[in-house]
Amino acid sequence: MVATHTTQQVAPELTMRSDDHLLEVNHLKMYFPITQGLFSRVVGYTKAADDVNFYIRKGETLGLVGESGCGKTTVGRCIVRAYEPTSGEILYRDPDGGVTDLAALEGKEIQPYRKDIRMIFQDPYSSLNPRMTVFQVISEALRVNNLASGSEMRDRVEYLLQRVGLRPEYIQRYPHAFSGGERQRIGIARSLVTNPKLVVCDEAVSGLDVSIRAQILNLLEELQDDFDLTYLFISHDLSVIRHICDRVVVMYVGKIVEVASGLDVYVDPKHPYTEALMSSVPVSNPRARDKGTRILLEGEVADPSNPPSGCYFHPRCRYAQQLCREQAPPLKDLGNEHYSACHFAEELSLAGVRMV
Amino acid sequence: MADNRVLLEVRDLKVHFFTDEGVVKAVDGVDLTIESGKTLCLVGESGCGKSVACRAFLGIVQRPGRIVSGEILFHPDGNGATIDIAAMDPKGAEIRQIRGREISMIFQEPMTSLSPMYTVGNQIIENIVLHTRDSKEIARERTIQLLDQVGIPRPDRLVDEYPFRLSGGMRQRAMIAMALSCNPTMLIADEPTTALDVTTQAQIIDLILDLQHEYGMAVLFITHDLGVVAELADDVAVMYLGKVVERAPVDTIFNDPKHPYTQSLLRSIPKIAMRREELDPIKGMVPNPFRRPDGCTFHPRCPKAMEVCRHVVPSVTQLDPNHLVRCLLYESQEGRPDESAPAGRN
Repeated sequence: MVATHTTQQVAPELTMRSDDHLLEVNHLKMYFPITQGLFSRVVGYTKAADDVNFYIRKGETLGLVGESGCGKTTVGRCIVRAYEPTSGEILYRDPDGGVTDLAALEGKEIQPYRKDIRMIFQDPYSSLNPRMTVFQVISEALRVNNLASGSEMRDRVEYLLQRVGLRPEYIQRYPHAFSGGERQRIGIARSLVTNPKLVVCDEAVSGLDVSIRAQILNLLEELQDDFDLTYLFISHDLSVIRHICDRVVVMYVGKIVEVASGLDVYVDPKHPYTEALMSSVPVSNPRARDKGTRILLEGEVADPSNPPSGCYFHPRCRYAQQLCREQAPPLKDLGNEHYSACHFAEELSLAGVRMV
Repeated sequence: MADNRVLLEVRDLKVHFFTDEGVVKAVDGVDLTIESGKTLCLVGESGCGKSVACRAFLGIVQRPGRIVSGEILFHPDGNGATIDIAAMDPKGAEIRQIRGREISMIFQEPMTSLSPMYTVGNQIIENIVLHTRDSKEIARERTIQLLDQVGIPRPDRLVDEYPFRLSGGMRQRAMIAMALSCNPTMLIADEPTTALDVTTQAQIIDLILDLQHEYGMAVLFITHDLGVVAELADDVAVMYLGKVVERAPVDTIFNDPKHPYTQSLLRSIPKIAMRREELDPIKGMVPNPFRRPDGCTFHPRCPKAMEVCRHVVPSVTQLDPNHLVRCLLYESQEGRPDESAPAGRN
């Protein structure tokens, strides 16, 4: 295997639950310390990701949704190892079939995986260095990893520019000469330059206008087919997730509350939070206005450094019972790849998106 | 007009920005009417001039921009009095009687539109005292009542808090309380929910609709989110590059849009309640503001563009009493543009 022979590798060989999984996240925890005073005494932890479990199949698009502060970006950053997780496993299947725990890698050991797992960022303005030309921006990963040089590198950059819909002649321009949509295309070309297997798209289309957003979404789908990509698509926009994702993971205050197929999560939610989320989505048809009543959540999202007891959602949940206040619900398998972290997932009958 | 009388009439409004690089015609001939008790949604992509137009209604266009021509006629009450906001001195005393009192505004950024230096209460009390000349004590009572009404928990304590202690949704509620403090006849909301999460967005939209029911004010809601438009609009005006290209009741816009831009816009949004299919984006992008295309400004991106669109500027065609469209496709259909359409020919 690619990885080094450190003491950790002596441990029994890692395996995944299924052969078609590209990535498995097991019991991932990411706690950020809250410090106080002159000596930065740790007074508590913000549990941005708290025991997160999910898997991504090869070639699929997995959506990660939730409101701001739910920890979806934290999970994405742990996977690209921009953060060092507090605990848990991030199992990744190498192209040659071996399994590596990305969470356990340290220092230089991570480097070979940086080219396999890439990221597309939300803000096309701040994510490109204004002092680097398009060529430098896109080729940087090739240079630092010694993957290509000279004319080979230039050819690859030109090819990618063309592939994402920009003219190769623009290669020596600086980012300021491009619009938001074009910059996002440059960001996509940058992420694809190393032939990645998994691309983490963190709100990749949220900052774009509707007409440009549609162009970028179509481009991402095209590239997925052409380059055999697997996407982890992080977004708060439920209609975008509906459009692009095969399966969806819903998070609330650092925990996964529901996992289901892209259709089930919308039409047959099994968690009251998902139900509320679906009912707040504006449906783009005025004739749907009166169909079904909208569930308005009371109160505010819980504080991840001081979460409520039991189920974190219980203070806002209209089905909450005594059990919910006392016990945290586990993520239960409801069959058919549908998982829900609600004590009453089987009993409740919840409404999905208002259909027209 | 019966119940819903015309409150604001905008005629051929032009707001241009005079920069070193040239003139940006941010708003270039906008006609709108807003009726009391109704909600008009102004839709368009970034850079189409929707925010600038609304700022003009309050006389708060930032330099180097200014209103170069047109009328903004405001009819504050039923007795026929008319005020032209466009002709007023933006710093004068007259407009201050209107701004914040008759017409008030909610901005997009709940984080930056409240002053961090003053408590939430002080900022609202200031507005009330300025416009009604009530005593501070009465204004404070009213503020607490308003905060309660917009759904802020424990308003008697929150009134003395600084904005940084409030979440985004709560700040937006405080902004709404401030906007409502003098019982305005018209509320302008500039993307008030764009920075908020969906569940909070749903709360804020419901709140605005409830308050509109209660106070009967007109709401001008600016957004780029067509889902939000479908939820709350009575009428919709679609803007592209400084002009209103189509205006119709909400049901018509969504189910029988006429302008190719409106049609394309609707085709390019992912629809949550439908089967997934490939999106049909609008080709190209919004042109550089200094180099606007000749003729119809949408022609380079328009799927139905004709040769004539390259050099003829379309005027407004009235398809039925409530449905106005600015497109040559419909002018040719009728032979010549409808003369009864409100001023919009140039």
